Amino acid sequence: MAVYERRYRGYDGPLTPERTRFLVLTRYAMPRVFASKMFIVFLVLCAVYPAVCAFGLYLPHNLNFLKVIQIDPADWIRAVEEFLFPARFMSIQGNLAFLLVLFVGPSLVAPDLRNNGLPLYLARPFGRTDYVLGKLSVLAILLSAITWIPGLLLWAFQAYLMGWQWLTDNLRMAFGIFVASWVWILVLSILALALSALARWKWLAGLGLLAVYLFGGVFGGLINLLFDTEWGRLLNMGDMIHVVRAGLFGEELFFDFPLWAAWMSLLAVGGASVALLARKIRAYEVVR
Amino acid sequence: MSDERDIVLDNVSKFYGDVLGINRVTLSIPPGITSLVGPNGSGKTTLMNLLTGLLQPTHGSLRVLGISPDRPERLFRKVGYCTQYDAFPAGLNGYQFIYSFLRIHALDHATARQKTLDALERVGMLDAADRRVAAYSKGMRQRVKLAQAIAHEPQVLVLDEPLNGLDPMARAEVIELFERLAESGLHVIISSHILHEVDLISDRVILLNEGYVVAEGDIRQVRSEIQSHPLQILIRCDKPAALAARIISQDHVVEVRMHEDRQGLLVSSRDAERFYRAMNEVVLDEDIRVEAVTPADEDVYAVYQYLIGTPRREAS
Repeated sequence: MAVYERRYRGYDGPLTPERTRFLVLTRYAMPRVFASKMFIVFLVLCAVYPAVCAFGLYLPHNLNFLKVIQIDPADWIRAVEEFLFPARFMSIQGNLAFLLVLFVGPSLVAPDLRNNGLPLYLARPFGRTDYVLGKLSVLAILLSAITWIPGLLLWAFQAYLMGWQWLTDNLRMAFGIFVASWVWILVLSILALALSALARWKWLAGLGLLAVYLFGGVFGGLINLLFDTEWGRLLNMGDMIHVVRAGLFGEELFFDFPLWAAWMSLLAVGGASVALLARKIRAYEVVR
Repeated sequence: MSDERDIVLDNVSKFYGDVLGINRVTLSIPPGITSLVGPNGSGKTTLMNLLTGLLQPTHGSLRVLGISPDRPERLFRKVGYCTQYDAFPAGLNGYQFIYSFLRIHALDHATARQKTLDALERVGMLDAADRRVAAYSKGMRQRVKLAQAIAHEPQVLVLDEPLNGLDPMARAEVIELFERLAESGLHVIISSHILHEVDLISDRVILLNEGYVVAEGDIRQVRSEIQSHPLQILIRCDKPAALAARIISQDHVVEVRMHEDRQGLLVSSRDAERFYRAMNEVVLDEDIRVEAVTPADEDVYAVYQYLIGTPRREAS
């Protein structure tokens, strides 16, 4: 039997804060996302529509432009609000957000599961929640950059141009942009992570995400057609976020659908995704 | 006090639904090198996952250096784990692999950087630190996995098949590293199929079969307690016939076999202590020149064979 001198001392030096530790994963994932030139081009394209909106918001405040087009500035502003910002902005950026999630989301969890990486993460002072938060943050940061951040910047720009009265009259718009964007960000991100964990292969997770988004809509439309109802829209995530957005902005819908049902539908998608993640994000998969 | 220095399992069972992982395991593992030995599906990896807090026991209690696995924040600081499978997040080089996990361990940049370099140096991987892990050979991957397990300076090191894929040179270096760590007071828990190396490096062995601990402790002590198989002792001497004639009359000696070259014999005895005493008397009486006396089956391989069955081919 050996004699143990107990010279060994484990590390007992300073530690970084526990609450922000999940950001280590985010920091490591970002360079891999930005390594793709295609992604950078896509991100630049995502900035085009907000730039067009900013230009549209600015034009009625440019005297030279007003002299040329001979249109009442109030009409122009109304037209901009109706066709550019915020309603169409939210819809266009929301669709771009889905494409971004399709691009980035599937590769976040699947490679770790396929390479047996989870025991490495979870055999550390790092829980399953930290792991999911770290991965979720990648999508949340990128999606924020193309949804509510440019949205609120545009809103602030419009407030700057229009003055204090406009700002106080349109606080609900800012609230709507922020909340609707976050609802969409969370639902899409959690769904993408869950499918990435379920599929284990990123291309399969991508296909799954596309199927949930597109086929859900098609299938929902079919139900509406066959049964002469609007409830098929419950399967259409795009329609559901549209209803939620309309509720938040206080807009009229072109179809009749209860707001609570739209919220419940998105909550159900989020809840099912969280349950799937809870089942799949484990150090070891239990094979029965 | 010993509870806080040892790894203590008290009547621990782990079931996966109806499937048994391990059953009613009670152990106290002191510092040093402890090897887990057993066939596939015997519960080695389950036991390791319990020790690292990756699994929670279904029944019983478990404390690692006095820390319960339901306090992962404290437990995971003390434990370093090297999995059996290749497990690498995609796209990282050796340095990033170790460094990123040290950041997850909550070490700041400067400390993590220093400890990464230290760990890579200890496993002889400093030169390959900036190469992608995906491009490493099997042996290099084993070593970098080992580096990530020791980098945060744990007090308990749990290593699932750490010698797999290593060439003889690397294997010798890694074994030396284990021995150094164990000598300094670290718990090194190894599962391995390479029984002769287990025999060489282990201070104690835990034999598992079908989820149960079949035997545990110092291998010689375990062997001496296996009464069903008499101990085999190999003796090389100049008068084997004279020795055999006297020895066979002892009631604890069950078999004596002469070597073909008539320069030695193999004795099977149920009581090693009495045999050695009797042999000394005969050697002195008959003036026998003894070259060597070696227990022939006092090793992990023999114990494994007697308690579990013939090991698989690689378990040689």
